[in-house]
Amino acid sequence: MNEDESRIYITNHDSTVKFNSYKTYSIADSVTLIDNGRFAGRESTAWDQQVMAALQNAMNARGFVKVDRNQNPDLGINVSRVYSTSTQVVDLSDYYGGYGGYYDPYYWGYGGYDYYFPPSYGYYQSTEAALSIDILDLKDASGNQSIKGVWSGLVRGEGIFKSSNVQTQVQALFDQSPYLKTNQ
Amino acid sequence: MKNIKIIFSISFIVLFSVAQAQKGETKLSISYNAALPMNDFKNVVSSTSFRGFNASVLHGVSDNLSIGLAVGFQDFYQKNGRQLYHFSDGTDVSAVVTNTIQTIPLLADVKYNFSPGSTVQPYVAAGAGANLISYNEMFGEFGNEQTKFKFAARPEAGLFIPFSNKISGFEIGVSYNIMPFQEGDIKNLNNLGIHAGLSLPLRK
Repeated sequence: MNEDESRIYITNHDSTVKFNSYKTYSIADSVTLIDNGRFAGRESTAWDQQVMAALQNAMNARGFVKVDRNQNPDLGINVSRVYSTSTQVVDLSDYYGGYGGYYDPYYWGYGGYDYYFPPSYGYYQSTEAALSIDILDLKDASGNQSIKGVWSGLVRGEGIFKSSNVQTQVQALFDQSPYLKTNQ
Repeated sequence: MKNIKIIFSISFIVLFSVAQAQKGETKLSISYNAALPMNDFKNVVSSTSFRGFNASVLHGVSDNLSIGLAVGFQDFYQKNGRQLYHFSDGTDVSAVVTNTIQTIPLLADVKYNFSPGSTVQPYVAAGAGANLISYNEMFGEFGNEQTKFKFAARPEAGLFIPFSNKISGFEIGVSYNIMPFQEGDIKNLNNLGIHAGLSLPLRK
């Protein structure tokens, strides 16, 4: 099994959401590091920048318009690098269930709000690293009194953090999410 | 996988043994076995497994009838190219999926020889017992191996061709391996076996 075959691309979304109702987005300016279930800081390495650029291209191609986070974006995008150096297996539900709290709600201008992610993700186990991308509903955050995750993408397997694989990985997540688009 | 290779090396060395016990005889049989997945099992593993063997020790209670124990091993494997899988909770997973399934049936066996003493001796046999199943479905490099005990039954028919000593001989036959197993889309591991082997007398 080669590196490409080892990787899995997992996406999920809120099926009640009409993505066409969102027009603008903003991407967090740094990547969150999560190590063994704990917030481990934020970074913006060359690889991180590559991921964010690939995300921007993919979102633009789907009709969304990037704006500054101070311009009331409809969607916010958080990117995380998730590491599990433990020898214990970790269920995916832990990834999705727990990481919302590590994103500072103040960053998106909604201090005091909790994050909400749909439950029941989780089929696979791993002791490896992962790339996690979450798209958040900021447009309705005030009404919902929470920042709701509306789409999640996860890449797991070998070679994730190679620069040569960034574009392929981000594109794969979007390719299997054809509903993630809007019309201006 | 290394263990499988060792098992096969041994099975090839001692390859070909199938007993056709006459009254009072006890024979050891070992045969090479290929297996074709049948029914729903074909949806998970469509390719024929050429990695298997059967062995049995049967005691002749009459010239026609012998009873004893039989054990088998079969290794099924299939790797599917990258596909998108949709799960009931809305999750979409793109992955290269590999299925590795190993079956080890341990059966009480009974065999009936239609014409003992003939140059070519047709027979039928039937076995029933337990089946140790190792099931491993991998999404990319992620997966879980499960081991379960289930029921197994095996009707069989074939031909025994004795050597000049009339005791040992060559055998070919087919069997239908009934192997219930419920996991995801799999309802059973039923397969059609084709075997060839030799027999060795243990004692008389």
